[in-house]
Amino acid sequence: MELVILKTDALFFILIASLLAYIFYASKKEHLARPWRSVLKKPMAASALTILAFYLTVAILDSIHFHPEIEGTSSDTPVYSSQVVSLLDEVLKPINKNTETTYSAPFAIYSYSKESQESDTGQIIRDYPRLRHAGSHLSNISEVRSDLIMRSLSALGYWIFAMAILCLILISLRVVKLKLIVADWLNLSTFFRPSPAQAAVITFAAVCLSVSLVATVGPYYHILGTDKVGNDVLFQGIKGIRTGLLIGTLTTLIMLPFAIVLGVAAGYFRGWVDDAIQYLYTTLSSIPGVLLIAAAALMLEVFMTNNAGDFESVTARADLRFLCLCLILGVTAWTGLCRYLRAETLKLKESNYIEASRAFGVLSWSTISQHVLPNLMHIVMISIVLDFSGLVLAEAALTYIDIGVDPSMESWGNMINGARLELAREPVVWWSLFTAFLFMFVLVLAANVFGDSVRDAFDPRIRELD
Amino acid sequence: MSTPLLEVTDLSVSFGSDNGQETVLNRVSFSISRGETVVLVGESGSGKSLSAMSIVRLLPHAARIDSGSILLNGQDLFKLSERQMRNVRGASVGMVFQEPQSSLNPVMTVGAQIAESVRRHQGIRGKRLTERVCELMDAVGINEPYEKSCQYPHEFSGGMKQRVMIAIALAANPELLIADEPTTALDVTIQAQVLELLKAVQAKQNMGMLFITHDLAVARQIADRIVVLKEGQVVETGTNEVFYKAPSHPYSKALFDAIPSWDKRLREGLAPSLDVRATLLTVEKLRVWFPVRSGLFEKKIPPNKAVDGVDLEIYEGETLALVGESGSGKTTLSKAVLQLLRPTGGSVHYADKDLCQIDSRRLRSIRSDLQIVFQDPYSSMNPRMLISDIIKEGMNAQNVGDSIKDRDDRAAHLMEQVGLEVGHLKRYPHEFSGGQRQRICIARALAVEPKVLICDEPTSALDVSVQAQILRLLRELQDNLGLTYLFVTHNIGVVAYMAHRVAVMYRGQIVENGNVQQVLQSPEHEYTRTLLHAVPRLDHNS
Amino acid sequence: MSSYLTRRILYAFPILIGVNFITFVLFFVVNSPDDMARVHLGNRYVTEDAISNWKSERGYDKPLFIALNSTGKKIFTETIFFDKTVRLFTFDFGQSDSGRDISYDISERMWPSLFISLPVLCLGLLFTLSLALLIAFFRGTYIDSSAVILCVSMMSISGLFYIIGGQYLLSKLLQIVPISGFDDGIASIKFLLLPILIGVIGGLGHGTRWYRTIFLEEIHRDYVRTARAKGLSEKGVLYQHVLRNALIPIVTGVVALLPSLFLGSLITEAFFGIPGLGSYTIDAIQSQDFAIVRAMVFLGSVLYILGLILTDVAYTLVDPRIRL
Repeated sequence: MELVILKTDALFFILIASLLAYIFYASKKEHLARPWRSVLKKPMAASALTILAFYLTVAILDSIHFHPEIEGTSSDTPVYSSQVVSLLDEVLKPINKNTETTYSAPFAIYSYSKESQESDTGQIIRDYPRLRHAGSHLSNISEVRSDLIMRSLSALGYWIFAMAILCLILISLRVVKLKLIVADWLNLSTFFRPSPAQAAVITFAAVCLSVSLVATVGPYYHILGTDKVGNDVLFQGIKGIRTGLLIGTLTTLIMLPFAIVLGVAAGYFRGWVDDAIQYLYTTLSSIPGVLLIAAAALMLEVFMTNNAGDFESVTARADLRFLCLCLILGVTAWTGLCRYLRAETLKLKESNYIEASRAFGVLSWSTISQHVLPNLMHIVMISIVLDFSGLVLAEAALTYIDIGVDPSMESWGNMINGARLELAREPVVWWSLFTAFLFMFVLVLAANVFGDSVRDAFDPRIRELD
Repeated sequence: MSTPLLEVTDLSVSFGSDNGQETVLNRVSFSISRGETVVLVGESGSGKSLSAMSIVRLLPHAARIDSGSILLNGQDLFKLSERQMRNVRGASVGMVFQEPQSSLNPVMTVGAQIAESVRRHQGIRGKRLTERVCELMDAVGINEPYEKSCQYPHEFSGGMKQRVMIAIALAANPELLIADEPTTALDVTIQAQVLELLKAVQAKQNMGMLFITHDLAVARQIADRIVVLKEGQVVETGTNEVFYKAPSHPYSKALFDAIPSWDKRLREGLAPSLDVRATLLTVEKLRVWFPVRSGLFEKKIPPNKAVDGVDLEIYEGETLALVGESGSGKTTLSKAVLQLLRPTGGSVHYADKDLCQIDSRRLRSIRSDLQIVFQDPYSSMNPRMLISDIIKEGMNAQNVGDSIKDRDDRAAHLMEQVGLEVGHLKRYPHEFSGGQRQRICIARALAVEPKVLICDEPTSALDVSVQAQILRLLRELQDNLGLTYLFVTHNIGVVAYMAHRVAVMYRGQIVENGNVQQVLQSPEHEYTRTLLHAVPRLDHNS
Repeated sequence: MSSYLTRRILYAFPILIGVNFITFVLFFVVNSPDDMARVHLGNRYVTEDAISNWKSERGYDKPLFIALNSTGKKIFTETIFFDKTVRLFTFDFGQSDSGRDISYDISERMWPSLFISLPVLCLGLLFTLSLALLIAFFRGTYIDSSAVILCVSMMSISGLFYIIGGQYLLSKLLQIVPISGFDDGIASIKFLLLPILIGVIGGLGHGTRWYRTIFLEEIHRDYVRTARAKGLSEKGVLYQHVLRNALIPIVTGVVALLPSLFLGSLITEAFFGIPGLGSYTIDAIQSQDFAIVRAMVFLGSVLYILGLILTDVAYTLVDPRIRL
């Protein structure tokens, strides 16, 4: 296989590296380690963090792209297909490769719409055909239920086995004691008032159980049905994770430097620098956000139409469009944080320790890096985490009005876009919408809950309220 | 003997926290009779405010009353329901709090806030209500009560706001008045007026008064009996005369010893004055005017003349005290001398250079000679920096010390000099108490080996015993290192204790200037006389 | 006050010029007027004449920002930028790229937008404030914590789902109101009910939490302690003191939004087929009509600046400490 690094992949991995660097840095600094520890002490936050970690893992798997090798060619050197495929695609192959012809309901073995078929007696009747792949190992519909039960039980079995192995590994590595597991984790009463570690473990176990179920039942049934062209909806939902996550994180990555540099400069240096930056962000904020994004996206569209030959593949083109969307969102989103940082810098400038610094003749640059920036980071932190969910939601809305991601890219926005008309059909095709809703809701809820805990831990005013 | 108005018996209160319950009041008992003033004296953390809040049951969420009883007119307040308690608050017990700025609702007129209490407990409405409000405002000494009652709190000065608070407390003719540090945030002249008012009002209504303060001199003015609290326990009680003549408990004695005064200075052997030496710093006609919002199309409003033509001379090795009330411009002056604020006019001569005129590079090189220690120990240090970095910051900027190791050694030595452990260098500011933080700030200033140290009210935010330690430290450092101090303060006792010469500042100008002994004993200027007269004295009731 | 207003209005000019500049840069940096003409005409009908015609009809035949061929003042004035910008300042929006009069369209279409956004704002405010007050009254209890969880959950649901779900439930299943569309006069009410209902419900989660935070901040202030020491009931404290102070950030926040009500919600109008300014903008975006987008951006900016001014004025009315 031949590795392909898309632009957004590169940025994403830079982001992951920065995150790891930050974790390392924060563990050394007491003033950062303390609030983070208090965040992790809350069970809801620990649980939300587990879910976010799962989403992150999926997104990372989906960001490793390559050209798959074409089998069965006669040449000595490997030949690669021009298709761009990710690691996640490979992992989910058992689910994905079974495409049907058209819609089908979750767990169905019959297709959604009628087709003309030849019956046993040779007449042409219109009836629901059997699906090509789902349930093809069964002979009639009455077997579905027992088949599902068997498979679910085996999934449960695998899960118990895996959990047990994990426990054994942890015990042998002395991470956890056997007594602890038996006394605390298996104790059902902990469900009502879990400690943060227990909450994280319970969430992790629940996620693993879902994975296990999907892995055992998924290849044989379409758990969440199929869409208009027969693709598995569950697969689409999982693929949408990368889009949603990347919108939230890449936009923030792009937005932060603007907001921090300009906000601090405006607040610290005052004078004409302040006036210029204020003019800049007032002008930008006065343009209605959606219009700015739309105008920029529109122009990108025209550009790409006129230069259609420049892109090597549909994926690369969609990726560029996605990157530009993140760029545009980042450029429009920095004004809010910038304003806030400017106000905080103004307040900080009045503080005594900065005046003491000036009494020593410390240069502006040192003062900013040593005194101003560390005392602003909590605001940046809170802003990153709270804006994340807003951005994920925004993607869906933007895609609806055609200025979001490319239709060829899997995203929840695209699923909703298509699903809207499906509700009008009889019987109702609800599963695409439901899937997009489910995945998006879980991510945004986890982000919001986690974000709240971060804000409570880092905001000095809130700490006084307790 | 008639039953006392208020009887607190064995009151114990604890706070819940992550570490379990912590007892903050331990079997506190005292009583107040009708017409009597009992003063609760203690330092911060002694539990005096909590005792007061327990009486009206307005304790914070995390606090719990463990045991004890509070009888008001024989009725146990702890047995009342919340509803019944609300009838007690305001009607039987009136409260005056410490911070008048934040204790009044900023969006309600002053008259409305007073009326609220009247209406709640006396049920009066309409014209009669307005009359009653004006009556109350008049009783607390506010002129033109009707016009003033339609104004908002921010239009009043600190002293006037406190009068409004007293009016609110008196509105329903309570039997007991609780005043929680009502004058701590006020200037000394205003403080004297408010104390007079409280005494008059109490006598007129024959109320019992529970007065809380940390200032023994203020307590002397107003108390019939004193109760001393230390860390949640009553350590001594006594009548005014007996207590001030001969306190019995060692803690009380220590409190008295800590109070800075001229006598204390003589006791500790500091010279009353200093021989004239070389002039180190000369300030001439210094002006700092703040424009009130400039801009195109603005009406011309005269600027705020914070410092308006000040002349000062500071001699080598002395302590010059700069005294004034809030708004006099003393902090602005000290910052302007250091060029932390750009003066609007005048000059500051140091080492044959005018600091107002030289370029920034040369100013930087001189900066190590002139340093400052600020008032609030809680905001003077970057909470996210280690102590060692805080102390070394100045050294790094001014290139003091030859190498990193040298600077580390100097930092360690400084910690010892200010009386702290070297091992604490790797800690954060929040791990230290107020007094310890001030020591660190002094060490930070000393790190660059200054000649002149400006101390801007360095002990105003500290307890009196801690203050005594810091002042003594500053004196020792002056003796050992030959420092010159410009000591800004509003506390006359500190002036008497620390200073060789004193300058009195009023509305941006120096109105009197001279030897400490001379100015304090025979002041010439009208304002100085008013100021000195208002200071509460320990030796006799004024 | 009048000097403040004058200053503000004068300051608005450079901002609006800047806004216009940015939109121009956005449109023309990547694509020249020729490219736009090509896209509009469809790549098949492209001839030089057709392009020039298209451009001169719309005034795109001049240089963009600087006319290097001309002299003196004309360097700046003989440009597309100058021409269009001046027109915008006189609110002469001209014609759209498809020939309709933009000003007329705007004046017609702003009413439907208003008919939805205004009720959503008022009703939404009513419900969220009442709920937030109620929660603040019960603070620290299970009611408080469950309410917060509920709010966070509601906030985590995309607005699209409220719309689609609402349309499905009430229009398709229960057949109470039509799914989408619009009508004139009183008949329009049946088309407005659903969007308004969904708009209110969609904003409940976020709004309630936001106001709850404001109320809780006020409850911990010193003047509330004084009010309690007066013996007021908890309800009295909430209404007389907390609410009145909380109104400062609330009112000023709401006032800032008022002018933007005219623009309507793009998503809501698109889903419900409401012929308001929001859908006008979306249609323009999708048909790549630069004239309309330019006009709407300008209008949006004017309204935003108006909102800023109104906020400052509102402060003086609500907070007695602030005087302009």
